Amino acid sequence: MNSVEIKSLTKSYGKFSVLKNINLEVAEGSIFGLIGPNGAGKTTLIKAMVGALKINSGQISVLGKNPLKNSWDLRRQVGYMPQSPSLYGDLSARQNISFFGKAQNISGLEKEVDKILEFTELTERGNDPVRNFSGGMQKRVSLACALIHSPKIIFLDEPTAAVDPHLKQRTWELFKKLSKQGITIFVSTHLMDEALLCDKITILRQGEVLAVDTPQNFLARGKTKIKYEKNGEAKELISGSDAFSLAIELKKLGLQSDISKIQIEQDNIENIILQITDKKQE
Amino acid sequence: MKHAFIIGARVIAQLKGDKRFLALSLIAPLIIIYLLKLLFDAIAPPPLPSIPGMMPLGLDLFSAAKFILPAAAFIVHFLSFVLCAILLVQERTRGTLDRMLISGFRKISIISGYTIGYFGLATLQALLVIAEANYLFDFNFPFKTICILFLVIWLLAIVSVMLGIFISTFARHEGHVFPFIPLIILPSVFLTGVIVDPEKLPRLANYLGYLFPLRYANNIIITLQKNNYGFNDLWPDFLILIVYAIALLLLAAGTMKEKE
Repeated sequence: MNSVEIKSLTKSYGKFSVLKNINLEVAEGSIFGLIGPNGAGKTTLIKAMVGALKINSGQISVLGKNPLKNSWDLRRQVGYMPQSPSLYGDLSARQNISFFGKAQNISGLEKEVDKILEFTELTERGNDPVRNFSGGMQKRVSLACALIHSPKIIFLDEPTAAVDPHLKQRTWELFKKLSKQGITIFVSTHLMDEALLCDKITILRQGEVLAVDTPQNFLARGKTKIKYEKNGEAKELISGSDAFSLAIELKKLGLQSDISKIQIEQDNIENIILQITDKKQE
Repeated sequence: MKHAFIIGARVIAQLKGDKRFLALSLIAPLIIIYLLKLLFDAIAPPPLPSIPGMMPLGLDLFSAAKFILPAAAFIVHFLSFVLCAILLVQERTRGTLDRMLISGFRKISIISGYTIGYFGLATLQALLVIAEANYLFDFNFPFKTICILFLVIWLLAIVSVMLGIFISTFARHEGHVFPFIPLIILPSVFLTGVIVDPEKLPRLANYLGYLFPLRYANNIIITLQKNNYGFNDLWPDFLILIVYAIALLLLAAGTMKEKE
């Protein structure tokens, strides 16, 4: 079953088209990555899915409902973490989480706040004003605010932008935990390495979906360069990225005594995605 | 309504957390009134030798209450408007306004919540301003007059909060609030009786003055300085101020966008 279904979605501001004929399906309980450079339309697409944006044409269904017409029903089941932390700096982490939790009329809210503070590893700093937090910690408070009402789907707009690698890893561990609990995670990012952590990714550029696939299938689209030296002469072979293609190419070389050096260079996900976007641009 | 109180409580918690903002809101009007006291002391006519059986000349010509109380009302009006508008615009620039709406707060709850949050601040502002003006200028008003004075300045502060909320819906960032000051706030100094009696102004200027809420507050303040005022002299202006507040609340609710 799909948590999100989008058909022929378009959105424009005047003559400027921000989203062009978007079609997407997001499976329930999966981690779905929306990859694209700044200005690709990621935030606009997320805002349309959380019911904060009027669209020009097309259909959006989130948990089987139209987010524009059923926005008040959906808000109890949908979590949203905006790109900027969007918190009250003068209030503590606990007060911020509690405030956004009250919008959902949660019973036993204080216990839920305790649980979410523990889940996001913020218990020790829970009573400190958010303005004293680092950018990464503010993002975690923001995530906690989005999770306080135990949503079925959560939309995360660049949750790890400007976060240090260590904290980024821990944040992704949290996403994996949430996914295991059956929560659908829709995450936008311009960081290509995060694509590998998703179950499925879509590449968005200038408001257009360029490709949708699993990270493994994207990697298989890449090429592997086999650089070798034969009789002192540098040579190069190009193979597919999958293990079978590589074996075929290596068999051709064998382990002949005149081959003194073999070096293998595989396309990484960033190269592959950039190749896809560049190809479309041409 | 429950959501409005939740937002109101959050606004109060935020105000308590922002000591500079709180100090500015409460101490700035007091400083300005004290400066006015210094100004009035400097320009007041020297005391004339009293002649038994005659009123001292010049005293009635320079009654401080005529100027100080409208000026105090204006200060409260100005600060309440600017500070509330800026705080609400900050909600937009920080992204918390969008987040509140997406989280399930409705715009009418947000506007009402802000008004509830400012009730306390407006009450404190009005109390402090009247207490200081009464102390410095020794007005010796009867208790009933002081109570009505408090009520009118408090009501004006609430109207100013509503005006701030309404104007904030047109501003994308804090800087957008400032052009509204010469457009909406400053004309009220000249057209509503803070400096001159608006009835003495050219007809058009006099009519323009009726557009500003400060005009109605000043009408009440001027009436209160007469010895024999009655309820019938006050209620029309009080009613207009209340209608003004409700109209601004509805306008703000109409102009605030829930969806882009």
